[in-house]
Amino acid sequence: MYLFLCIVSFISVFPLYWMVCAATNKSADVVSGRLIPGTYFLENVKNLMANQNIGRALGNSFKYAIILTVISLLVSSLAGYGFEIYHDKAKDTVMNIILLAMMVPFVATLIPLFQMISTAGWLNTTIGFILPTISTPFLIMMFRQSARSFPHDIMEAARIDGLSEIRIFFQMFMPTMRSTYAAAMTITFMNAWNSYLWPKVIMTNSDSQTMPMVVANLTQGYVTDYGMLMLAVLICTLPTAIVFFCLQNAFAEGITGAVK
Amino acid sequence: MKKKLLSLVLVGAMSTAMLAGCGNSSAPAADSQAPAADAQTPAADTQTPAADTSSSDNAAGGEQTLTVWCWDPAFNMNAMYEAEKVYQKDHPDFKLNVIETPWEDVQTKITTAATSGDLSTLPDILLMQDNAFQKNVISFPNAFVDLTGSGVNYSDFAAGKTAYSVIDGKNMGVPFDNGAVVGCYRSDILEQAGLTVDDFTDITWDQYIENGKKVLDATGKPLISMQAGECDLIMMMLQSAGSSLFNEDGTANIVNNDTLKIVMETYKALKDSGVLVEVNSWDEYVGSFISGDVAGTINGCWTMASIQTAEDQSGKWALTNMPSLVGATGATNYSNNGGSSWAVTANCQNTELAFDFLASTFAGSTELYDNILPSGALATWAPAGESDAYAVPNDFFGGDAVSAKIVEFSTKVPSNITGVYYYEARDAVATAITNYINGSDIATELDTAEKTVNFNMGK
Repeated sequence: MYLFLCIVSFISVFPLYWMVCAATNKSADVVSGRLIPGTYFLENVKNLMANQNIGRALGNSFKYAIILTVISLLVSSLAGYGFEIYHDKAKDTVMNIILLAMMVPFVATLIPLFQMISTAGWLNTTIGFILPTISTPFLIMMFRQSARSFPHDIMEAARIDGLSEIRIFFQMFMPTMRSTYAAAMTITFMNAWNSYLWPKVIMTNSDSQTMPMVVANLTQGYVTDYGMLMLAVLICTLPTAIVFFCLQNAFAEGITGAVK
Repeated sequence: MKKKLLSLVLVGAMSTAMLAGCGNSSAPAADSQAPAADAQTPAADTQTPAADTSSSDNAAGGEQTLTVWCWDPAFNMNAMYEAEKVYQKDHPDFKLNVIETPWEDVQTKITTAATSGDLSTLPDILLMQDNAFQKNVISFPNAFVDLTGSGVNYSDFAAGKTAYSVIDGKNMGVPFDNGAVVGCYRSDILEQAGLTVDDFTDITWDQYIENGKKVLDATGKPLISMQAGECDLIMMMLQSAGSSLFNEDGTANIVNNDTLKIVMETYKALKDSGVLVEVNSWDEYVGSFISGDVAGTINGCWTMASIQTAEDQSGKWALTNMPSLVGATGATNYSNNGGSSWAVTANCQNTELAFDFLASTFAGSTELYDNILPSGALATWAPAGESDAYAVPNDFFGGDAVSAKIVEFSTKVPSNITGVYYYEARDAVATAITNYINGSDIATELDTAEKTVNFNMGK
């Protein structure tokens, strides 16, 4: 049993180890399969800085991911809360339609979306980046599920005490559902950080490039510098890893249910 | 009242959600051949090129500025910067805005822009892979500008190269980098088998296999490695005899293609003799000849850039042409793999400027080609090959003037037909060759391949 777990964890951790090693080696060493950390790290950093505007890409990625995460959590949780607390037949139907939208692959909606955004003149803008993913069926569903476990007694009590509906949401629901928010935040942040196809299509300026786009740039051309590439991948992976590790406990709680 | 306000907010949220579809499933690697690419041409046709849209930040950035998409900082982007410098000598106000865009993304963006009818996102000039040129121009005829009368003298370019960007007799692109096939060998490994690079010059594949066996006996190393499931070598062999997977009229030319049969038999013979070893990925392929696990490789001349990353092997390499097919009509020792050409898009506001820029740089300046030679960008523009810079010996390749040699190779490459379904046909043939190696017979496999291609073409 433990042997099996050891093997599985080795398989999942090994690529990460390889990535870190590769980031410290020369491209030729990476290709020939060197598996021990090397001494070429600083050279790779220097090359990467010279080759790509990493600072700008990191800045852009953080900007888009943070704005998207904040707005999307607010919108989706309000929607999920509303669907559950004020639910009736019509709203359930709407919810089902939203869930149906979850099944449509993004590539199918890519061209109409692009048309809408470009007609609105939002190419190369933050709003163009975040609008399509501001509320996702998955998040709405997640908040709806957690709102189901939100005790109605608390709401009744709050209403009797004269709290308005909006304030019930902000003062009662939000603090109680902290772990759901944390889970949703991890998911949204990771998706926003790693999103590639959509930004690639609407961001035509080099000034608005994000980290995944920079990584993709590095794989182009007749010669790929694998050491430099792996360093860029490492830099690209760190923020999501940090976010995940910080919110790990809350994430697990949020997935399993918030109210005990 | 407050309930109403909340439901209003909810309605807003809901409509956004519907708008979004499921927006989070961003595919990590945008596949260049999104299904929409082929199917939705009519949508593009009905729209006039959106040259009037003022929202474009590309062409609108000033009369004397051109926006360019290309993808390799060390190679084609560098070439554009050098071209800018050359052109600025006579046109001080001229400026280029070069945006680094990987090829797969160029393809995605062309598809999105052309199918949605909003070409304003496209740059003035973009670099296109030669193998995808015909596909894009035929699928999106309104997205690109005819360069036939642009002042570019096409007779200065190698005919086989220009053919990639000629559609219906119109020149749609300015040829850029050279993909002439070279055979690169480790002379020190050949020496152990008592051979030199001369034994590999102007030979046939039969002689190649014979030599390969000698090397295998003496050193235990295969002569060449290739990526399994890819058919780079197959396509190079096929073109070396001037054969294509398509006929002039666009129909598939697979079942009755005698050259293709010879190619497949040759490939199997290479594999069976142990002279050719198959590896699983591109990285492994590059690794095999850099680390000396195989004695050399045959590929487009851009492979030299990868070879030269192994600085410690300087002087140990030698370069010559590829072997020719035995029994095929029109067999030569020359072929092509890869390469790209510049296209001018319909979003270009100042086509005069774009034409003049291309005609006086990539189709008119030996200075430019001399400047970009150190980056490995070899010209397909014949006058460049005559310049002194191309005659300088390359110490890495044993003091041989490899640049001039490759330009000479490229003028002898037979032209071939790529058509719209080039990549589909390539994939079908790759499957056929894999099955053939594993014991199936040629006729059945070619029949299946042709059926697959016809199915893709909707026939």
